[in-house]
Amino acid sequence: MPFGLLKYGLARTYPGKNLFGESRSLKQSYDVVIIGAGGHGAACAYYLAKEYGITNVAVLDKGYLGGGNTARNTAVLRSNYLTEEGVAFYKASLELYKSLSNELGLNIMFEQRGQLTLAHSDAAVRNLRWRAEVNQHLGVRSELMFNDEIAQMVPHLRMDTAARYPILAGLWHADGGTARHDAVVWGYAKEAAARGVEFHQLTEATGIDIDHGKVTGVRTTRGDISCGKVIQAVAGSSSVVGNMAGIKLPIHTFPLQAMVTQPYKPLLEPHISSPHHHVYIHQTSRGEFVIGGGSDPYPLYNTRATLPMRETLSAAVLELFPFLREARVMRQWAGITDMTPDYSPIMGESPVQNYYLDAGWGTWGFKATPISGMTMAELVATDRVPELIAPFSLDRFYRFEQVNEAGATAASH
Amino acid sequence: MRLSAPFGTRIKRDTRVFFSFNGTRLNGFEGDTVASALLAADVQLMSRSFKYHRPRLGLTFAGDDAATLVTIDHRANCFADTETLGQAMEVTSQNHLGSLEHDLGAAIGLLARFLPVGFYYKAFYRPKGIWELWAKFFRRSAGLGRINPSKQKVVPRTKRYLHVDHLVVGGGYHGMRAALDIANDGKSVLLVEQDPVLGGSLLYSRIDPEGVVAGRLAQELIGQIETNSNIEVMTTAHCNGWYADHYVPILQGHNLFKIRASGVTLATGSLEQPAVFRNNDLPGVMLGSGVQRLVHLYGVKAGHRAVIIAGNDEAYGLALDLLDADIEVAAIIELRAEPVKSGTRSALMESVVERGVRIITGAEPHAAVARRGHLSAIQLRGQASKEVHVAQYEPLETIECDLLCSSVGFLPQYQIPCQAGARLRFDEEDNCFTLDGLPRGFQLAGSITGKWGLDEPAPDPSHSWPIFPHPQGKEFVDQDEDLQIVDIVNAVADGFTHVQLVKRYSTVGMGPSQGRHSALATAKITAAANRTTIDETGVTTARPPLRAEPLAASAGEVFFPARLSSMHEAHSKLGAQFLHAGTWYRPACYPRPGEDRIACIEREVINVRRNVGMIDLSTLGGIDIRGPDASELLNRLYTGGFKGLAIGKSKYALMCNEAGVVIDDGVAARLAETHFYVTATTTGVENVYRQMLKWNVQWQLDVDITNVTSAYCVVNLAGPKSKEVLARLTTTDLDEDAFPYLGVREGEVAGIPARLLRVGFVGELGYEIHVPQTLGRHLWEALAAVGATFDIAPFGVEAQRLLRLEKGHIIIGQDTDAMTHLRELEMSWAVSRKKPFFIGDRTTAEIDTTRMTRRLAGFTVESANRMDVPQESQLVLEGDRMAGRVTSAAYSPTLDKIVGLAYVPATSAEGDTITIRVDHGHGLQATLCELPFYDPQTERQRVPDISVDVIEETLPERTSLISGSRSDLGNGVVIVDRTLSDRCGIRGRTAASWLESLSMLVPDKPNCAQVQKDGTLLARLSVGEFLFLGSSNYLGCHPDGADSNYSLPRADSHAWLVLSGAHSRELLQAVCSIDLRPRSFLDGDVAQTLMFGISVILIQSEGIFHLCADITSSQYLYDALGESINSMSI
Amino acid sequence: MKTLLCPLNGIRNIDEFIYGGEYHVEPDRKQVDRKAWAEHVFFDTNSAGVVTEWWCHTPSSFWFLADRDTVTDEVINTYPFSIDPVER
Repeated sequence: MPFGLLKYGLARTYPGKNLFGESRSLKQSYDVVIIGAGGHGAACAYYLAKEYGITNVAVLDKGYLGGGNTARNTAVLRSNYLTEEGVAFYKASLELYKSLSNELGLNIMFEQRGQLTLAHSDAAVRNLRWRAEVNQHLGVRSELMFNDEIAQMVPHLRMDTAARYPILAGLWHADGGTARHDAVVWGYAKEAAARGVEFHQLTEATGIDIDHGKVTGVRTTRGDISCGKVIQAVAGSSSVVGNMAGIKLPIHTFPLQAMVTQPYKPLLEPHISSPHHHVYIHQTSRGEFVIGGGSDPYPLYNTRATLPMRETLSAAVLELFPFLREARVMRQWAGITDMTPDYSPIMGESPVQNYYLDAGWGTWGFKATPISGMTMAELVATDRVPELIAPFSLDRFYRFEQVNEAGATAASH
Repeated sequence: MRLSAPFGTRIKRDTRVFFSFNGTRLNGFEGDTVASALLAADVQLMSRSFKYHRPRLGLTFAGDDAATLVTIDHRANCFADTETLGQAMEVTSQNHLGSLEHDLGAAIGLLARFLPVGFYYKAFYRPKGIWELWAKFFRRSAGLGRINPSKQKVVPRTKRYLHVDHLVVGGGYHGMRAALDIANDGKSVLLVEQDPVLGGSLLYSRIDPEGVVAGRLAQELIGQIETNSNIEVMTTAHCNGWYADHYVPILQGHNLFKIRASGVTLATGSLEQPAVFRNNDLPGVMLGSGVQRLVHLYGVKAGHRAVIIAGNDEAYGLALDLLDADIEVAAIIELRAEPVKSGTRSALMESVVERGVRIITGAEPHAAVARRGHLSAIQLRGQASKEVHVAQYEPLETIECDLLCSSVGFLPQYQIPCQAGARLRFDEEDNCFTLDGLPRGFQLAGSITGKWGLDEPAPDPSHSWPIFPHPQGKEFVDQDEDLQIVDIVNAVADGFTHVQLVKRYSTVGMGPSQGRHSALATAKITAAANRTTIDETGVTTARPPLRAEPLAASAGEVFFPARLSSMHEAHSKLGAQFLHAGTWYRPACYPRPGEDRIACIEREVINVRRNVGMIDLSTLGGIDIRGPDASELLNRLYTGGFKGLAIGKSKYALMCNEAGVVIDDGVAARLAETHFYVTATTTGVENVYRQMLKWNVQWQLDVDITNVTSAYCVVNLAGPKSKEVLARLTTTDLDEDAFPYLGVREGEVAGIPARLLRVGFVGELGYEIHVPQTLGRHLWEALAAVGATFDIAPFGVEAQRLLRLEKGHIIIGQDTDAMTHLRELEMSWAVSRKKPFFIGDRTTAEIDTTRMTRRLAGFTVESANRMDVPQESQLVLEGDRMAGRVTSAAYSPTLDKIVGLAYVPATSAEGDTITIRVDHGHGLQATLCELPFYDPQTERQRVPDISVDVIEETLPERTSLISGSRSDLGNGVVIVDRTLSDRCGIRGRTAASWLESLSMLVPDKPNCAQVQKDGTLLARLSVGEFLFLGSSNYLGCHPDGADSNYSLPRADSHAWLVLSGAHSRELLQAVCSIDLRPRSFLDGDVAQTLMFGISVILIQSEGIFHLCADITSSQYLYDALGESINSMSI
Repeated sequence: MKTLLCPLNGIRNIDEFIYGGEYHVEPDRKQVDRKAWAEHVFFDTNSAGVVTEWWCHTPSSFWFLADRDTVTDEVINTYPFSIDPVER
């Protein structure tokens, strides 16, 4: 029994307190306003407070803390990307994840059980080899695996060649893992709040005040506030909030669905992903199988779930794991994702002075939570663009210089 | 213990069903659920709880709680209370260490006080890295049932479409009434009931003291339903969600019905809610409705001496039921200060009093007490105020009982309405939930509305606060997750104030029953802890499926579309290994016995270089472009210029998207001034075709675009002896002057009408021979026969890749990626700047102003060692920096060295050395060189001067691509393959008037068909396109010499199946998502739709159905139809 | 599953269609400046509200326009691109 729990068992009254600060009214003015109290917003607030001593900060959310895509993602962490920029960025993020529980004083349940991405065609094998080569060169643990190795790694995976699309190879990413998604935002918010940052839930931004090309304030459903700087970290609503500031974003908004089965005794250690079948699956520490896939086929700002997606996800997962036939799906949900033309995020400065963008997170935002928070905080505090995020500026589209991660994102999450 | 009839309406006592539970042989009756049979056999313990491994026996007996989860015949996590008992079932309990009775896991309960809400967030991470060890420990205790991968039975599952006017879900009183009302309006109604018989709660609840009214009402209504021809009833069928536009999945046995209705009425009632008090999860504590189900439906006596906790009048009906079932009612604990005393309800209460039952008021449950793991008594205390903590209380008496029923309130089945967009409101005054904001055509009936009663709905009789905190806790709010009142309260105290955060932090509602019995109490406790209202607090979002659903149910039978060329069988016979290209099967290589893959590929390559080879290129896309603006269209779509292309010549065609990325290539052949035939890549053609159409909708050029990929079977005959082979089979003059490189000729090969293209993709003299698909097999056989003398051998995709690499030709998709721009390919020769624009030109111009980082170049490694071949995708390094990658590489048997293509630094030049990162960091040196590697002077294209006698052949018989077809597929469906019958397509601006001028009966609008005087059938697909079944007379129609109308090769692009028989319509309705009911899809109707994932044209004419679909998928379609018929029980 | 009313083929499940992007009037590619061209290629309005979109009915390869609310997923209207769209 860990000592950390003793106080709860021995105390006469429950020794808890509101981790996110008692609720209070909005002040008239803040140094920094962060729109969006998801993982990214909370992480940015934490690093602003911790690294730069900037604590006169309000984090606003139209819903509840971490209730957007932080709550809806499937908790997959990995750094096996395809571009030099992408690998460097996600690798740095994974490094931060490793010590995050201890840094935040909250167990985010970070585990590296590895990820295996499957190839069912020789074109896909080439793509996986490309990723393996890039990863290895940049110090990320990725390697190609073939028949017996895969069968050993994932004992129950259907390897027989009678399958309509047999498995030809796999990309084994030993660094891949999971963390408890909600805990990440709670941990960041808790530590930011402890340093004086205010979290205002159920407080929707309704307008951005701009004077001579410079942001001066944010209007909200609970009153107007003035501020020095604004960060928008509202994945799923980036275009809408960007519009308030008159900023056009190259984003399309698509729902991304996932589903979870009832809990079963653990059978599956790593995370398995098949871009060909548009499906991925892993088993949580509660024993549930989490199953997800590709984005919806058309844009929508709505988290409804669809039957066709359940049908295709079920069929796809049974192609890989036929023995899960009778495993029961308990719930199916969706997040709303910002898809960019090159499958890389949009981070950094915007055409509006002192207004910063943390957007375009597609299906890969959770993985980036610590590093995006840290780099955005650095940018806001120092007005220097950190090298790690320089490639991801909005400007790249105007320069016709994209960072194309298309080959590393499909159904891999 | 079993009660005698009339109890047990659902069981057939004359049929015993034998089964085992944890190895013990038991028996029940036909009609039992597993749970009812276990209880009847006096089983006192069914499962262990998720966290504390507490003993559980079942709460709801309606499939709504995790307590009855068992493993049945290796199916883990089955709800024993809804699984019908089957002969020889092996039932085992789950989630215990050691036996169910002596579960070592229960020791965790001793630590409960050290496991506060969210305890796993609060510890287990110090020192850094320790969590991964703890995680292993937690993982061992995770999960409920165990899936044994080797013991999973494959049970066929099907999916069917079904269209109805109106769907009513719930066959209780209100559902039946709604169905009758709607049916009497003349609509067709599908009434869906989850139980085996209609009646709902009428079959087990008590309305009147005598207990006769409910049964009588049920019989009356069931009688009316049965005689109403507008109503179809589905029983044992579960509605598992609602989706946009009234698309509703219904699970019945192993079938999933996807219902499309014009309207939906939900009459699914309410869920009875448990009271929350200490030890409210003990075996023997059950919901009143659960006990009534056991008594009435299964004749199971769940105990001998009962206490009822009453928060509503239902409690008194329950008491009378118990008395009638010879269960002693020790007391009713009436929670209400003033129980309702009016109408029929009071009659129930009076009757209970008359029968001497003790009614205790002013008391509330304090704790249930256990003896040997089963309920033995209930401790009472004086009524306290509505609080989430209790510090002081007045102990009252303890009443012995072995059955404790709570009857305190209900929650509407809000999940599906909320998924449909409704909002759940709570009216504090009426203590009642309501739903508003329903979508159009969506209605509610019965207690799901929040109103209660048969004909005069009143606010639902839920008790406002059936929550009784205990100083020592263990009052379970969520029995799935073992969460107590204090867990909810403390979650709020920790700052998780929003109900969604309460859920995420505490896991309340995340278990198998998804909050069905915890949401209400959680809302109340959270509201109290936050000092706000229940309406403001709300409940967490309801997500589909309503009930946990096996993956196999929504997967159903899985159909993967497959495309095969007409030469596929020939490849198989030759021992080809196939690879997948989209949905196509393509021969990768043709290994001989004992030959390994690489040796085989090299042999095939060498044979092409030395002799002659043949490859099936039928998968190559083919697009027909006709009209005065055809060359203008190509000029806009492709990078090159096509206006000046001579008739009878072809030209490389490269396509970009508007972002300047190279996306496809092919060859455009000019067949006439206004007619081009364009090829595209195998996997790209679908998108290319679609984009062409989209652009032209906007441009409105005078041109028709048709995808004719499947209409042609294509062989590339390549090698120095290719002319010698071909010359023997065609009268077309093959001499250089008559048929130069890149020429296009129409002629005959082996008696088959053929289009010949002189191509050089593999770097040898070669001819692409395009013939009608149904004659492709003959072409293959004729070439093989004549070629035998010249050592002809088939070659596959792998050899072709190597051959073209030697020739330095790129493959889009392999040598390009999602970022490849024109300048990186150094193919300026394929780009025309002398035309107004092409798609991608502007972006290309912008990109040209940016710094170029890479280019695609050829390289060689002076090594004949195949081990030195770099892998495709290995990196090209510039110092330590990634500068590019290898896209193609192989040992060239022709040149005896390693050749490849790679992205290299833009600044590099021919002759430079590059470093390729191989073997985990080792550097391989390669030299950049000019392309091509092979035959730079194109000398191999020289046509040998030979003349041979042509072997005369007559037009062979066409062959269908469906093999082994049988016409009668059984189950009342007859399918005839008419692929070889005459038909054609007619298209063009003047097609309709042209057909009219031939005195044909032309349908006046698209998607209609008209039988002609001679019995042929003319279907109109759009304003300007027709499908003519039964004759090919209109092939080659050019009435005025212009291409304003023309024929399409539909006899080759489309297979033709004819379905007849009594059940052909049912089959089509089941597998096709459109409304094919007799009054919706009429004689003469045409539907262009999807079936089994492929496009089909469905025509109904004179009572039979014509099905035309892509001919290369016809075997797939035929097999899928056959499988569907087999699995249909019509 | 949603249905969509195809102007040529009638009501169909939405899985018979392919989404083809927002409808925009193309700028003059010769005249427009670099910034505006970049926005044309990469940027859409992506509005949360009613948007005019391209859709293609795949079995018949028929392209048309739809006005759809991207928040409620309600299709307000579907119509051919021009007055005489199904000429061919």
